[in-house]
Amino acid sequence: MDKLVAQYSRPSHQNESYSEQEQQDLTESLPPLSLKFALPPVANPSAFLRAMTDDHSNPSCPIKLAHGTTTLAFRFQGGIIVCTDSRATAGNWIASQTVKKVIPVSRLSRGEDKPTNDPTPGLLGTMAGGAADCQYWLRYLSQQCTLHEIRHKRRITVAAASKILANLTYSYKGYGLSMGTMLAGVTPQEGPALYYIDSDGTRLPGNLFCVGSGQTFAYGVLDANYRYDLTEQEALALGRRAILAAMHRDAYSGGFINLYHVKEEGWVHHGFDDMNPIFWKTKLESGEFSNVTSEL
Amino acid sequence: MGSPFDINGGACVAMVGKDCVAIACDLRLGMQALTISNNFPKIFNYAPSTYLGLTGLATDVNTVSDLFRYKVNMYRLREERHISPSDPGQPGQLIVPFICGFDSIGCIDFAKDFIVSGTASDQLFGTCEGLWEPDLGPEDLFETISQALLSAVDRDALSGWGAQVYIIEKDKVTQRLLKGRQD
Amino acid sequence: MTSLMDHQARETVGYSFSESTAGVKQHGFYPYTDNGGSTLGITGSDFAILAGDTRSTSGYNINSRMVPKVFKIGGDDETGEGATIVLSVVGFAADGNALKERLDTVVKMYKYQHGKPMSVSACAQRLSTILYQKRFFPYYVHAILAGLDEEGKGALYSYDPVGSYEREQCRAAGAAASLIMPFLDNQVNFKNQYIPGSGEGHALAAKKPEPLPLETVKGLVRDAFTSAVERHIEVGDNLQMVIITKDGIEEVYHPLKKD
Repeated sequence: MDKLVAQYSRPSHQNESYSEQEQQDLTESLPPLSLKFALPPVANPSAFLRAMTDDHSNPSCPIKLAHGTTTLAFRFQGGIIVCTDSRATAGNWIASQTVKKVIPVSRLSRGEDKPTNDPTPGLLGTMAGGAADCQYWLRYLSQQCTLHEIRHKRRITVAAASKILANLTYSYKGYGLSMGTMLAGVTPQEGPALYYIDSDGTRLPGNLFCVGSGQTFAYGVLDANYRYDLTEQEALALGRRAILAAMHRDAYSGGFINLYHVKEEGWVHHGFDDMNPIFWKTKLESGEFSNVTSEL
Repeated sequence: MGSPFDINGGACVAMVGKDCVAIACDLRLGMQALTISNNFPKIFNYAPSTYLGLTGLATDVNTVSDLFRYKVNMYRLREERHISPSDPGQPGQLIVPFICGFDSIGCIDFAKDFIVSGTASDQLFGTCEGLWEPDLGPEDLFETISQALLSAVDRDALSGWGAQVYIIEKDKVTQRLLKGRQD
Repeated sequence: MTSLMDHQARETVGYSFSESTAGVKQHGFYPYTDNGGSTLGITGSDFAILAGDTRSTSGYNINSRMVPKVFKIGGDDETGEGATIVLSVVGFAADGNALKERLDTVVKMYKYQHGKPMSVSACAQRLSTILYQKRFFPYYVHAILAGLDEEGKGALYSYDPVGSYEREQCRAAGAAASLIMPFLDNQVNFKNQYIPGSGEGHALAAKKPEPLPLETVKGLVRDAFTSAVERHIEVGDNLQMVIITKDGIEEVYHPLKKD
């Protein structure tokens, strides 16, 4: 009873203007990517959030967040291939076909793709699940990685970076975050390293991962053709082909094929290409996808 | 989980032109996210100029189209003439361009411009309302309905994967297959 | 039906909610209302347009026929004079207003502290963090931010309710987004359009999108809204169009159907 009274007996003007803390945040020239979040004034904030935003358990929820993905990454002798689709869906509605699901980490430049063939140093993170969660926390991770670089005068290892992210998601476990991300990088200490981190707090090192609603289709192609000693060209083609298969069969994946190669010197972008011409080229030239009619 | 209307996906649209009508559908059949088939036309032909487009649960699309075929065949045997879309009791010939839509329990919707149905119906309303104009000739109507359908299904996760268009004129029917996005 | 087939469209990346997701709980606490309406933004080589209707609804009722959804951010006075950035919000109007006030304060503070206006790209990133601060009690809004970038090109950023954002050429948000967006894909980005005579069958070349002139874009915006008004009950009354060019911000209103 006391708890109830306390909950409802706040002076009504309490939230009328910004609190002192908020005013300070507003006047600071560089607000930190903070860990302070507003919570709804209810006993069980995560139940509230789920009722409002989880379209799996409640298809008519008022706030639909962007979802749906196929992302993959695999290690091979020449480094790591990272490849994603570019579709964001809210329910059955395709909210965007041009999402950049590979997010450069450990350089705050965000890699806004200037057409360069030189490798850019740093790690790559991929985005599956809630788009905002991935964007925000990978940016937070970039900040931490850059600070690490300044403090220790050397680049952070992928193991350490993934641990920062996994500890973070673990500390928010139960709050309703939704992210499945892969961190890829090549460092002098580790060589090519690949980690999978998700919002449950899982952190797994591995050779080959596919994440998202189209992961099974991508695994099918990848497992059939993957070898550690692939050449660079073969590896790039395999990454592209696996994503193509997933885009074709999975309704919630599609759009553009976003392809990256991580090498010792850094990552190289190998294009953000519309899947449709690539699909028809693959079909007509190599006779794959015979399920699709091409008689016009 | 999910409405039966949204399990298999699919979209259908019909438009009126000058002395012609067009009807078009996508080709997808899915089980929610998984695309099972990309050759599932949703338009059925019952008489020289009578076409019916059905969207919704695929098993019901098949059942209704077969049941309707049976009823139409019985009609043709009894009356010794083809059925017409509006069936005003005249010989089955398309004199006035005529399209109409139904909800799933049979409420009829007569339209003078276009009719849409399926999981991409919102998107189709937007594209048709933006692209359609009165008195389009057969070729222009084909271009309009194709652009409207393809653009609409490209914004719907559950429909697409190719499309089929029928242009129905007084004395001929043209069927075309459209190359659509395969994602 | 589908559960018999044991195939669910669940994503493999689930939410980390602590309780089981079986059964939706009923809540006495429902702080949101959908106020309807729709917004739309298109950019060109040297301008950006943000537009929105001015109807405010709740359920089948019309609260008001004149509630603008597009706001100037970081202006010198009440009228927004001197602003270079424009924000549109659609969804829950109270949240939208709170968000607009907050971003306005931030952009003004930036200007006072740095003695120069905030760039659109910086403002876009800041808006993302503002939205994410309320990740666990979201603003029920779809925001679009527009301005001119450092090169003078039109810049448009679109957001989801919790702050994921992307720079785009065109974007529709709100109740009629599903009606307007495919039309825009077709008319602005020339999706599904091919160049006639460029080849036969599969050799046909797709039409490349290019920045459209201002007058064409104005026409498209008005067409998009007149179409949306025909088929959506929550959209109508007036069209507010805000045009951002290097000469400043111009705001115009056009009547829409009021039924």
